[in-house]
Amino acid sequence: MHLNFSTIIWAIINFLVILAILYKFAYNPVMKFLDNRSQEIANNIAEAERNRSESEALLKEYKEKIAQASNEAQEIIARANKVAEEERNRILAQTREEAAALLERARQEIQRERDEALFALRQEVSTLAVMAAEKILSRNINTEDNQRIVEDFLNEVGEIH
Amino acid sequence: MEEAKVLFKILGLEVTGHITTMWAIMFFLFVVLVLATRKLDKVPGRFQCLVEYTFEALLNFFAGILGRERARRYFPILATLFLFILISNWSGVLPMAGHVEGFRPPTSTLSVTAGLGIVAFIVTQIAGFREKGVGYLKHFIQPFPVMLPLNLIEELVRPLSLSLRLYGNIFGEEMVVAVLLSLAPYFAPIPMQLLGLLFGFIQALVFTTLTAIYISQATAEAH
Repeated sequence: MHLNFSTIIWAIINFLVILAILYKFAYNPVMKFLDNRSQEIANNIAEAERNRSESEALLKEYKEKIAQASNEAQEIIARANKVAEEERNRILAQTREEAAALLERARQEIQRERDEALFALRQEVSTLAVMAAEKILSRNINTEDNQRIVEDFLNEVGEIH
Repeated sequence: MEEAKVLFKILGLEVTGHITTMWAIMFFLFVVLVLATRKLDKVPGRFQCLVEYTFEALLNFFAGILGRERARRYFPILATLFLFILISNWSGVLPMAGHVEGFRPPTSTLSVTAGLGIVAFIVTQIAGFREKGVGYLKHFIQPFPVMLPLNLIEELVRPLSLSLRLYGNIFGEEMVVAVLLSLAPYFAPIPMQLLGLLFGFIQALVFTTLTAIYISQATAEAH
């Protein structure tokens, strides 16, 4: 067992060379890679956490908005119902009034027509009676004629009716 | 086991079978780790899960000694020490290891483990200065200035103990395998080699853990 000075120097040189090579091609890239990934994972987790709290806040906000909108809708419906009810009542009342007026007018019209017709009939009947009387009186009448005249008269009257 | 022959020289530095094996292991580590970490997907597949798990397990292990922050800072050095020593130790179990020139488990020679020990020592000192500045020197005279020589010896003994422990275990294990092989060829060394896998892992862990502990002490807040 003896020490070879050259071998000692070679061992040191070799070690430094392989150290430099491995540092450049293996350790450094791996270390950087692992660090980057750790960083990335940490970032991802932080971001996910942030997103979660953000979405929770949004969800809360939207829920509030929906509740508010629902309330408003209820209010609007209630108001509309009230307005519709009022309108219905108003229109109904008006229609009733109009119908009553119309009925009244129709009744008056009928009454008037009836009166007119009665009046006309009365005049006609009296004229006929006078004419019949004239005819009876203007002739010398026998029983037979009498009979005939009355029948004629009656026939005339019947025709009129 | 015969002394390693000098295969060739580069810039006046002798290259032995331990060093060529070390290069092979370096290449192996490079290929495996680059393949393992080449395509990292955000959603890991099975293989990537295994890689990530190993990575995290090592990091957590060091974090248990150094704390998360410093474990991250010194992770590349500690992980490389661990992986390199582990593969070196295990390379001794491969057939022909130690019997072919150019293929000798690096950690079975004191020279390589001494080199690693020196690296651990230097890293510890640099870590101390880096974390505490000149104030790092104060720990050599604590609790009393009289302790300076003892503290210095303690500091210097550390790399020595690290190197000797690793070398002794691996070399010893290989010697036992070699002896068993010469006594009863083929099958006798297999249980020992299986144990060798376990020892190799433990020694790699011990070396790295102690280095982490030394760094932890050097960079600790005031005692």
